Amino acid sequence: MTATPALATPTGTDRGGTFTGTWTLVRFLLRRDRARLPAWAIGLGLFIVYLAAALPQVAETEEELRGTTELFHDPVGRMLTGPGYGFDAPTFERFVANGYGLYLLILAALMSILLVVRHTRVEEQTGRAELVLANVVGRHAGLAATLIVVAISNLAVALAVFVSMVGVGGFGAGGSALFAAGLIVTGLAFAGLTTITVQLSEYSRAAAGMAGAMLGAAFVIRAGGDMAEVGGNALSWFSPLAWAQQTAPFVLDRWWPLILPLVFAVLTAAVGVRLASRRDLSASLVAVRPGRPAASASLGTPLGLAWRLQRASVIGWSSSLAVAGVVFGAYADPLLGAMDDLPEVFLELFGAEDLLTGYLAYMAVYMAYFVGAYAILAVQGLRAEEIRGRAGPVLATPVSRWAWLGANLAVTAGAVLAMSVVVGIATGIGVAIVTGDGAHIGELAVAHLTHAPAVLVVLGVAVLLFGLLPRAIPVTWALVGYGLFAGTFGAMLDLPAAALGVSPFEHAAGVPLEPFEVAPVVVLTAIAATTVTVGLLAFRRRDVEVT
Amino acid sequence: MDGSTVISTSGLTKRFGQVVALDGLDLEVVRGEVHGFLGPNGAGKTTTIRILLGLLRADAGRASLFGGDPWADAVDLHRRLAYVPGDVELWPNLTGGEAIDLFARLRGRFDRARRDQLCERFDLDPTRRGRTYSKGNRQKVALVAALASDVELLLLDEPTAGLDPLMEAVFQQTIREVRETGTTVLLSSHILAQVEVLADRVSIIRQGRVVESGTLAELRHLHRVSVTVETSESPDPLRQLPGVHGLERLDGQVRFEVDGDRVDAAVRALAPLGVRSLVVHPPTLEQLLLRHYGDELATRTRTSSEA
Repeated sequence: MTATPALATPTGTDRGGTFTGTWTLVRFLLRRDRARLPAWAIGLGLFIVYLAAALPQVAETEEELRGTTELFHDPVGRMLTGPGYGFDAPTFERFVANGYGLYLLILAALMSILLVVRHTRVEEQTGRAELVLANVVGRHAGLAATLIVVAISNLAVALAVFVSMVGVGGFGAGGSALFAAGLIVTGLAFAGLTTITVQLSEYSRAAAGMAGAMLGAAFVIRAGGDMAEVGGNALSWFSPLAWAQQTAPFVLDRWWPLILPLVFAVLTAAVGVRLASRRDLSASLVAVRPGRPAASASLGTPLGLAWRLQRASVIGWSSSLAVAGVVFGAYADPLLGAMDDLPEVFLELFGAEDLLTGYLAYMAVYMAYFVGAYAILAVQGLRAEEIRGRAGPVLATPVSRWAWLGANLAVTAGAVLAMSVVVGIATGIGVAIVTGDGAHIGELAVAHLTHAPAVLVVLGVAVLLFGLLPRAIPVTWALVGYGLFAGTFGAMLDLPAAALGVSPFEHAAGVPLEPFEVAPVVVLTAIAATTVTVGLLAFRRRDVEVT
Repeated sequence: MDGSTVISTSGLTKRFGQVVALDGLDLEVVRGEVHGFLGPNGAGKTTTIRILLGLLRADAGRASLFGGDPWADAVDLHRRLAYVPGDVELWPNLTGGEAIDLFARLRGRFDRARRDQLCERFDLDPTRRGRTYSKGNRQKVALVAALASDVELLLLDEPTAGLDPLMEAVFQQTIREVRETGTTVLLSSHILAQVEVLADRVSIIRQGRVVESGTLAELRHLHRVSVTVETSESPDPLRQLPGVHGLERLDGQVRFEVDGDRVDAAVRALAPLGVRSLVVHPPTLEQLLLRHYGDELATRTRTSSEA
C-alpha cells in the first residue's frame, strides 16, 4: 500500500486529459439507462423468439414456407426486406435472418441514434452537461463515454438476439453469430453518424431528425439496389443498412462486408469528435435560424391557429400513409403471381373469389385503422394543449370553447377525409405502377373514403371523452385495437356478428369487392356527429384543467 | 354594485376534490385602480383569476366582471380584458412574435406600433421560437401581448416572476402608464415591494379567503407601528400602557410595537422620559403578511423543532 493520499488520477489517455473521467461517466450513463438498455435487448430478443415460434405455425414445414416466401422473393418483396438471399431455398433460419433482418438492423440503428442524442445533445440542451463538465471531466469524456455505452448496448442486443436464435430457434451458431455481429456494427455505424448530427443543431429533436433522415435515406438507397436484382446491385453498397445484409447469414456466411460499417463508424465518430472540439458547449455548427418576427395573416383566428399547430402532424401522417399506400398498392403484383401458393389463412382473410379486389378492399380498412390512430393522437394533442396551460390563455381571449374545440376538430376531421382520399389514390398509383392499369385510382379513393365515417366515429368517441372524462381519452385506443383485431382475425375465429358489429370499421361496404352502400356511411356519420356534439357540450360545462 | 365596480365576488367557493381552493372569497376592484392581490403560493390567487376568466366554474358564491357573469358571458367579457398567466407556456414551434400577434388579433383591437415599442422596451427578440425562450422571456411575450391590446382590464397573475430587476423596473413604469389611461389592473403577486410601489388598494388572500382589503394607508392604520426610542429615564411606565406589545431593551435602546390607534398615547407617555432619539416606521407588507400567516409560521416552526 502506498502512503500517498488517494488523488484521482486521470483515467484518460495521452490527449492532454480531455478524456478524463470517461469511465466514471460510463458507469453513470449505465446507471441512468439501467431500465432502458435491458428493455431494448429483451425487446429485440423477444422479436426473434416470436418469429421463431410463429413461423412454424404459419408454415408447418419448410416446404410450405416456400409459398410464403414467394412474397419476399419478388422485387417488391426485396424492396421491403433486403437483397433476398436464400429465398430460392428457404429455411426458417434463412427466412428470419434475411426476411426480417432488415427490421432488426433498423431497430439497432434507432436505438444507437436515440442513445447518442440522449446522452449528448439532450444533456447540453437541458444544461445538465454544464454541471458534469464543471467537475474534473475532460471535454471529450462525455462523447467517449456515450460511444462506449452505445457499444455495450449493441453488444447486449446482439447477445440477446444470438441466444434467442440458437436457444429458441435452434438456428446454426455460425450464421446466428454473423447476424448478431451485423447488428452490432450497424448500430455503431449509425451511432458514429449521430455524433456528427448532434454537433450540427442546438436542438436534440433536430439532431435526432437528421440522423433519422439518414437512416431513411439508407433504407431507400438499398431498396432501389435490392429491387433491381437478387443480391442487390452496386447501388445497394452505398447504404450503411445494406452492409450487414450482404453478409447473407445462413446462405453465403461471409464476414468481410462487416469491415465497411466498422470503418464507417470509426471515421464518422472521429469527425464527430473533431467537430465537437471546434464549438462551444450548447452551441451548434449550424446557426440557429431566426423565425418570423410577426405572424402571417392566416394566424389570427381559432381555425388559423388550429391548422398551424396541427399542420406538421397532418403533413407527416399524410405523406407516410401515401408512401405506405403506394407500397401496398405495388404489392398487387407479387400477390397475383403468388396466388396459387398462398396459404389458406390469406384466402380467408381476403376472400377467395377475387383475390386482388379482396386484397385492395382489406387494405382500405387496414389504412383506416392508422387514420384512426392519427385522430386519437390529435385529440390527445388537444388535451396536452389544455393541461400544459396553452389552451387557457387562448380561451381568455374572445374565443369561445365551441370555437376553440370546433376549429381544432374541423382541422382533424378535414385531415381524416383528406388522408383517406390521399392514401386511396396512392394505393391506386401503386397498383398502376406494377400492373400498368390506372383504372383502380378513382375506385380506391372511394374505397378508402368509405371507411372515413368509421374513423370519424373514433374521433367522436375521443371528443366525447375529452368533454366528459378527459383522463379516459386513451380508452379510445381500444376501439382501434379491437377494430384491427376483429377485422384481421374475426373471420378466422368465427366471431359472432354482434361482436364484430362493435367495431365501427366493420359496417362500411368493402369497396371494390362489394358495391358502395350509402346506409352505413349515413349511420356512422350520424353517430360521429352526435358524439362530437355531446363532447362539445360537455367541454362547455367543465373546468379547463392545468397540471 | 355601481358602474365603477369592475370585479366583484362574494362568497366564492371552489373545491378540487378534497382540497378547498376558495373558501368564500369576497373581492372588489373598482375602475381605474391597480389592485394588489397578495398572498402566498396556494392561497387561491390563480383559482380566483381563472374563475374570473370563465376557465373554472365556481362551486358556490357569485362573481361578476363588468357586471356580467364570467362563466356565461365569457366571450363578450374577454373583448374587454387581457390576461397574463403566472406560468406562461408557449407553442414550441411558434416564434414569440407570432404568439404576440396571435393573442392580439384574437382579442381584436391591437396597436402594432405599440407592440414593436414594447418588444424593444422589454428587450424581447420576437424571432425566436417558443421552445428556446427562458421563463423570463416567455413571461415577456405574454406581457407584450397583453399590454399591446387596447383593453379596459388587465388580469396579471404574478407577471414578473421570471424577470430581472431591470425588467421589473420597465414593468412598473409600463403599469404606471396604463393606469394613466384609466386601465384597471388586478395584480396578483407575492412580491411585496412590487405591490407596495404599484397598488392603489390591496386585498390580502389567505387559504381561499380575503382576510384584509383596503388602501395601504388604511391597512397601516389598522396595524401596529414599530418604535425604536432612546430615553434618559426608564421606559418601564410604557409596559402598563394598553396597546403596547413586545417591549424590549437592547444596548440602551428600547423597541416596541404599538397598535395604530394607540400611537398618540404612546408618544405622550414617552415625552416626559427624556427622548434622545426616536424612530417610528409603518409596518412593511412583510409585517402585514406575517401577521396573517404568523400562526401558520408558528405551527411550522413548532413542527420542525419537534422533528
